[in-house]
Amino acid sequence: MTSKFIKPFTLVILAGALAACASGPGGDSIYVPAGTDETTAPEPPQLDRGTDEPRVERKSEQPDTERRAPSYQDEGDAVPAAASSLMRSAEDLLAAGNAQAAVSQLERAQRIAPRSAAVYFKLSEAYVALDQLGSAEQFTLKGLSLSGSDSSLQRSGWLLLADIRRARGNMAGADQAEARAGTL
Amino acid sequence: MKKTAASKKTPRKHSGKRNKKPWFWRVFIRVSLIGLALLAGWTVYLDAVVTSRFEGRRFEVPSRVYARPLELYSGASVTAGGLQRELELAGYRAGRSDSAGTYRRNGGQFEIHTRGFRFTDGEELRRRLSLSIFNDRVQDFTVTAGPPSPIVRLEPAQIGGIYPAHKEDRVLVQLQEVPELFRNTLMAVEDQDFYDHLGIAPLSIARAMLANIRAGRIVQGGSTLTQQLVKNFFLTRDQTLLRKGNEALMSLLLELHYQKDDILETYINEVYVGQAGTRAIHGFGLASQFYFGESIDDLENHQIAMLVGLVKGPSYYNPRRHPERAKSRRNLVLGVMADSGLITEQEASRARGQPLGVSVRASYSENRYPAYIDLVRRHLARDYRQEDLQSEGLRIFTTLDPAIQYAAEFAVTDTLKSIDGGAKGALESAMVVTSRDSGEVLALVGGRDPQYAGFNRAVDARRPIGSLVKPFIYLTALQNPDKYTLITPVQDTGFSLVFDDDRRWEPRNYDRKERGDVPLHKALSNSYNLPAVRVGLDVGVEAVTQTLQDFGVTDSISRYPSMLLGTVPMTPVTVAQIYQGLATSGFNTPLRTIRRVTDSRGEALSRYSLKVDQVADSASVHLVQYAMQEAMQEGTGRSVYRRVPRELTLAGKTGTTDDGRDSWFAGFSGDLLAVTWVGRDDNGPTMFTGATGALPVWARFMGQVPQHGFSPVVPDGVAYQWVNSEQVALTDEGCENARFMPFIVGSEPDTEVSCGGGIERRLRGWFEGLFE
Repeated sequence: MTSKFIKPFTLVILAGALAACASGPGGDSIYVPAGTDETTAPEPPQLDRGTDEPRVERKSEQPDTERRAPSYQDEGDAVPAAASSLMRSAEDLLAAGNAQAAVSQLERAQRIAPRSAAVYFKLSEAYVALDQLGSAEQFTLKGLSLSGSDSSLQRSGWLLLADIRRARGNMAGADQAEARAGTL
Repeated sequence: MKKTAASKKTPRKHSGKRNKKPWFWRVFIRVSLIGLALLAGWTVYLDAVVTSRFEGRRFEVPSRVYARPLELYSGASVTAGGLQRELELAGYRAGRSDSAGTYRRNGGQFEIHTRGFRFTDGEELRRRLSLSIFNDRVQDFTVTAGPPSPIVRLEPAQIGGIYPAHKEDRVLVQLQEVPELFRNTLMAVEDQDFYDHLGIAPLSIARAMLANIRAGRIVQGGSTLTQQLVKNFFLTRDQTLLRKGNEALMSLLLELHYQKDDILETYINEVYVGQAGTRAIHGFGLASQFYFGESIDDLENHQIAMLVGLVKGPSYYNPRRHPERAKSRRNLVLGVMADSGLITEQEASRARGQPLGVSVRASYSENRYPAYIDLVRRHLARDYRQEDLQSEGLRIFTTLDPAIQYAAEFAVTDTLKSIDGGAKGALESAMVVTSRDSGEVLALVGGRDPQYAGFNRAVDARRPIGSLVKPFIYLTALQNPDKYTLITPVQDTGFSLVFDDDRRWEPRNYDRKERGDVPLHKALSNSYNLPAVRVGLDVGVEAVTQTLQDFGVTDSISRYPSMLLGTVPMTPVTVAQIYQGLATSGFNTPLRTIRRVTDSRGEALSRYSLKVDQVADSASVHLVQYAMQEAMQEGTGRSVYRRVPRELTLAGKTGTTDDGRDSWFAGFSGDLLAVTWVGRDDNGPTMFTGATGALPVWARFMGQVPQHGFSPVVPDGVAYQWVNSEQVALTDEGCENARFMPFIVGSEPDTEVSCGGGIERRLRGWFEGLFE
């Protein structure tokens, strides 16, 4: 069907997207450990492991005058190793024709790396294989919303979107997406 | 006359005597025949009872509801206390890590011996894990035994069940899953001739009596397993002769129709072995889990002996309540095992030396999360019938995160206690926590007493949302960048609307002040009413309504202008649904409590997959997110940073209705979206605003959970500019009023102003920039 037509193409694109993601700089979100004020349930003492990770300062330790501006980042998060391994097994499952199982693995990866564009592009690929092009298009859009200034990731996303739209018969939308990819 | 009379009498008498015998026999035969017919009929009836019950669905197996499995890998976000609670919830034993289902903790250092679990997407094998937790993250994650893997799922903890009306709970096992030693012990203790008798065994009754006399107390019962099964299965518990007769008859019938193995398997699944509240524990499959947290094929000798010993009196020998009785009963059974040659005398004496080893509490307590399970049931009701849920032994894998639920319950109960003051317990609350990007409901609190399975406010309390509606008004406006940007001046001045029927509406600000022109972002972050209504009327109530519906409101919304101040009622869960789109750059993500439903063998029946649906363009949502972050830093939500680190750069919105009847807060971090509501069930006034009632609950929650800060990716078509928002002009970075704000490309101001203070201030700004 339609999905068979576009599958080989998307695979090539996504390989590029993932490679770009692995090499490009990630705009990783800041991880903030839980506050340990007197109101949280008491925890037994933890082993002090030195300072191999910077401890986030509490508000009380900071100068009061500090004013922070709303935060943003130029790129989505990089894919952590655990999520990458799940994405690899999803790729194997996709290659073996088991797209439904691939979706399961990708949903696990998505929970670990919810702000990484690559996971959503992979989900899109799996939904193409399942011939659910509506879902595929939405996941591509979601991935694009997280691609930020990473132009190779952007390009892969727009091309993937063009393919899916064409397969759905939305020629104008496909041309638009392709034109967008062309500017990158 | 007399004689005649006598002679007359005599033959009469005689004839009576002569007739008496046949009459008696006739009656006797008749009665016997009727009796036989009745007995035959009764037997046929009993036979029908026995076969239909045995043949048809033999057991109603409740559905099991599981929490989400914890994923462990290097970098996973979990606190040491949270991991320990997770392990306890899944029935892990602390102290050693030498067998499956045990763990050892030393500070932040964990060694965990997983049990393994068959997930629908593949089997998670048994492994021994070593990891440490530092700064609420997993480090040095290694698999020390078992197949290596960079990521391992713990088996999910059971958090509830959906029970049939009679509240019998069981885990079905097949005969071949039951260890031979278990079966043989059961027969040695309860019915030595099980494989030889016809259902009743007079001989074994005699032998039991003998054994009991020899032992000086009752060690064996006289009933066969078949009789016991019949007793449990078909009959009431009263000890009448008629019942005994029925029992014998039905036992014979059962044996006539069915194989011994079938009967034994049914017995093993039927036998009553304990009670947990109103829930009756049936069958050895569940008993193994209920008492030891183990599956039946993992039991050790002393555990087998204890379970078999329980049959005689599950409450009398209850190992949790009467450990001494249970232990001596267990040791007695171990003696029988050794005498019958099932185990050696050495093995028996070693087993006698073992502690009972019963897990401290039942592997889960029923109704630990009533509000959450309630929402799960409603979601299930879309696709499943109640009868099937109560009887088919389905497994329901939910998205509940026990650590998040714990934090949410704590935040609600503890904060309500401290802010309650004059309200004397009349104050109520509800909370919903979802995963920001997946829409999975991680926690749900239905009231200030989270254990109380009553009114579920998170799902059923429909209350006006107040200012929570404002982001949707401004989002609708910002979708037209030619007319609205974050710095567009909006009028904060009073006005009145006159309706056709001469009613007047004069909206006011909360503080009754009017400020003239204010930039749009400030109007939102400070939650001014007048500009919100003006902008809403400008874009149109219909357009705002459409935005709300696009974001997930399914109930009808009345199109009065007052809806722009949030007279539209919603439940906390609905609010969480519509804020999902605001939190994720315009992608509506349907809220889910269930990932999978499988049958009792683990085959998937339904999958509820992640879905996303873009309902607004990411660019305009990004602008609203900016103002919602500003609300937390400078606006109505700024008190939050007294309690949580500023690095979380949260985004959120307060909501208050007249006289503090409803206090709302909805907001998000990088990982989580949470909605809190505080108010009274009788809709009475309170002294709270969104910032003083619902926000403290929200902040208390956020402060307890390790997570990522909110930092949205700048979408395509958005560029940041230094602007002076009061003067609606581009400006220099160093200027005092300069803000770095997002604009949809093309909508940024085309005028430029320099700093009011001239060159000196600019230079200072420049130097400050240099040393930052």
